Amino acid sequence: MRSIIKFLSVITCIILFYYTVDSAVEVFDTNWQLPEASTEELTDKRIILITQELDTPFWDQVSFGARQQAKRDGARLEIWGSYGNNQEDFLKQIEIAIYSQVDGIIVQGLDTEEFKELTKVKASSYGVPVITIANDVSMAESLRRTYVGSDQLLAGKMIAEQLVEDMGKSGKVALMLDERQEYYQTQRLEGIKEYLYNYQDIELLEAETEDTREQVIATTKDLLNRSPDVDAFITLNAKFADNLVEEIDRRSNAETYHIYSFDDDPTSLSLLKQGKIDGMIEQSPSKMGSLSVEFMMKWLNKEVLPLNLDGYFTDIRMVKQVDLK
Amino acid sequence: MNSIQKKIWGLVLIVLLIMVTTWVSLISYNQKMLDQYNGILERYLVLNEISRKSEDTVTALNNFLLLPSNDNLKAVTKNKKDIQSMKSEVATFKNVENELALTNYINLIESLEETIDSALSFHSEAETEYSMKAFNEATHISNYISEMALTLIDLELQTYDLFYRGIINQSEELKQLGTWLLLLITVGLLLFTYWFSQRITKPVEKLTLAANELSKGRFDLKVEVNSSDEIAFLAKTFDRMRLNINNLISDIHHNAQLENELQQNRLLLKESQLRNLQSQINPHFLFNTLNTLSKKAYMEGSEETSDLLVSVAGLLRYNLKHLDKPMTLYDEVYVMQQYIDIQKTRYTDRLNFYMEIDESCLSIKIPGLTLQPLVENAVIYAVEPNEEGGTIWFRIKDEGDLVTIEVEDNGPGMTEEKIQEILEEKVNTANGHSSGIGLSNVMKRLRLFNGMEDVMKIESTLGVSTKVSIKLLKERRGEK
Repeated sequence: MRSIIKFLSVITCIILFYYTVDSAVEVFDTNWQLPEASTEELTDKRIILITQELDTPFWDQVSFGARQQAKRDGARLEIWGSYGNNQEDFLKQIEIAIYSQVDGIIVQGLDTEEFKELTKVKASSYGVPVITIANDVSMAESLRRTYVGSDQLLAGKMIAEQLVEDMGKSGKVALMLDERQEYYQTQRLEGIKEYLYNYQDIELLEAETEDTREQVIATTKDLLNRSPDVDAFITLNAKFADNLVEEIDRRSNAETYHIYSFDDDPTSLSLLKQGKIDGMIEQSPSKMGSLSVEFMMKWLNKEVLPLNLDGYFTDIRMVKQVDLK
Repeated sequence: MNSIQKKIWGLVLIVLLIMVTTWVSLISYNQKMLDQYNGILERYLVLNEISRKSEDTVTALNNFLLLPSNDNLKAVTKNKKDIQSMKSEVATFKNVENELALTNYINLIESLEETIDSALSFHSEAETEYSMKAFNEATHISNYISEMALTLIDLELQTYDLFYRGIINQSEELKQLGTWLLLLITVGLLLFTYWFSQRITKPVEKLTLAANELSKGRFDLKVEVNSSDEIAFLAKTFDRMRLNINNLISDIHHNAQLENELQQNRLLLKESQLRNLQSQINPHFLFNTLNTLSKKAYMEGSEETSDLLVSVAGLLRYNLKHLDKPMTLYDEVYVMQQYIDIQKTRYTDRLNFYMEIDESCLSIKIPGLTLQPLVENAVIYAVEPNEEGGTIWFRIKDEGDLVTIEVEDNGPGMTEEKIQEILEEKVNTANGHSSGIGLSNVMKRLRLFNGMEDVMKIESTLGVSTKVSIKLLKERRGEK
């Protein structure tokens, strides 16, 4: 009996001791993941990439490419921006970046006075170089160092070429434009017009619309009402494609029209798969990101002086329905 | 010998050690946590303070631009200085995560300073338009600073998210640790105290038991205590005491036994004395009877019988009284005379008795009843068996320091073997006459009395004569 009691108490003690030590270790093993303190002056180049359309697939890819490049070049990259084309917020971000005296700003071009004012006056007064990405603005008005992105003029030409190939040398083509045309849209338009200049039988209808669902639908309705014999649509802003197809489908069948779109955003892609649209321009967002960072670093490290003012074009490709099949 | 004290000290020290360790570790841990909390809080406070200060600066600048007074200018510069000092403080918050944002933040502050400076310089140059423009810019920047501060705090929360959760978890674990520790200490202390008190009380218990046994009178159980403290010492002393008491008691037992034996012996002695006294009563009665008989015989005219009875009584009295005392030779001779008188009455003419006595020797000491047996012996062996009777010669001679007493008869004599037997005290007295007091008895007594061996000589010629002579020392050796 005695030995049983002794045994039990020893066992109890051991168990208690084990749990005590265990919890003591847990308590005193301060596994607090404190960020490493950094006392040194930050010498890496700070580059800010600012976009109007955060968290869209296109810009996610751009960011991905830019980050990879930044890692390779040893630059500190931060992605700022606004959501859903909030211009005010977007401009504010640019302003903060300038006031924060970052080493370089890579920004999605915005063809407004305020934007140009910021890049031209503020950025240069603080000595911050600006590179536009994906969407360009005219160099003379913005004093950007260079542009990295698709050649929109070429894209317009490619679309026009495809159109002619699909539709033939005569027909009515509706061009869906933004009410407030951005630089890249005018360039695309220019490209289209330039190519179609040789085909006088192709009639161009320009329809301007605001970038809202209701407006796009209304404009499409109006267009179809006025010119029911239209053969093809080209959306200069890819965001229109969705609503355009929706409205056309309501009347007849979108597949009977030749519809072309720029930008390979997911909606456009799915529409292409469904056969609703006939072709679109595929860009290289990841490449844009990496290239823009690369050139910014080259500029900052004074390796390439000056940068090509016309810009560095990334690959574009015409994607047709047949390509997907 | 301070073992129990040592043990108590040990217990207290162990308890104290546990308490101190627990306390110190908990306090240090708490302090650590508190420091962390303070650090975090400090960051937030400083960031907030900067936002407020930048707003204040802009307000002060506005006031100055509206009303350019020295006071307002001072307010602006003071606020600017504050911001500058806080800026360096913020720089210390830098870590890997917020490095970029913080650098931006600091640059923003610098931009604010620059803008304010330019606003002031434009103002001094009376370029109102530019100065207002710079002021507007400063207002913007001040707003941005506030926003950036929020971003920083946000980032901070993200960065420290795990840390905060860690702290929360840890405080939960601390509670657990407290519980376990309390349980462990309680159980451990209880067991330890039990064991410890056992170590003290067990020996005491044993000692108590031993004392109990001792008090009941059992002294043969050994007191055993296996410990190394005062109790063991006590037990050892106690054991020694037990042994001593045990020895004493056995001594007492021994003495008591001796006493008992002595008592018994005394009783036996008294008894024998009593018997002795009693044995003397009968003879006295006998004397009286003899004396009465003597008187009766005298009164009846039988004078001779009367004399005989008196002689018998005298002889008997002497016999009884003086057996164990040395008497003078004179007394002995007298008794012997009486004996002869009695024998003469019996043997009449058959007994011829001649005495040659050196009167000068009659005063020496001689054991009582020495002569009578010698004469009696001669009477029995020489006179009684011979019808014509016999003759006995009795001589006392002075031979220097010795007195020789001779008893000679003309009886049949005895063989050489017989003589040797008598001299070597081998005679069985069963064959002897009278009360068994024969020659050998006399010889024994004489040897003791004189303290020498050569006391008796027997010369005998078969059929002719026997001469027994004894030697007496004039001066007894033992009495010198």
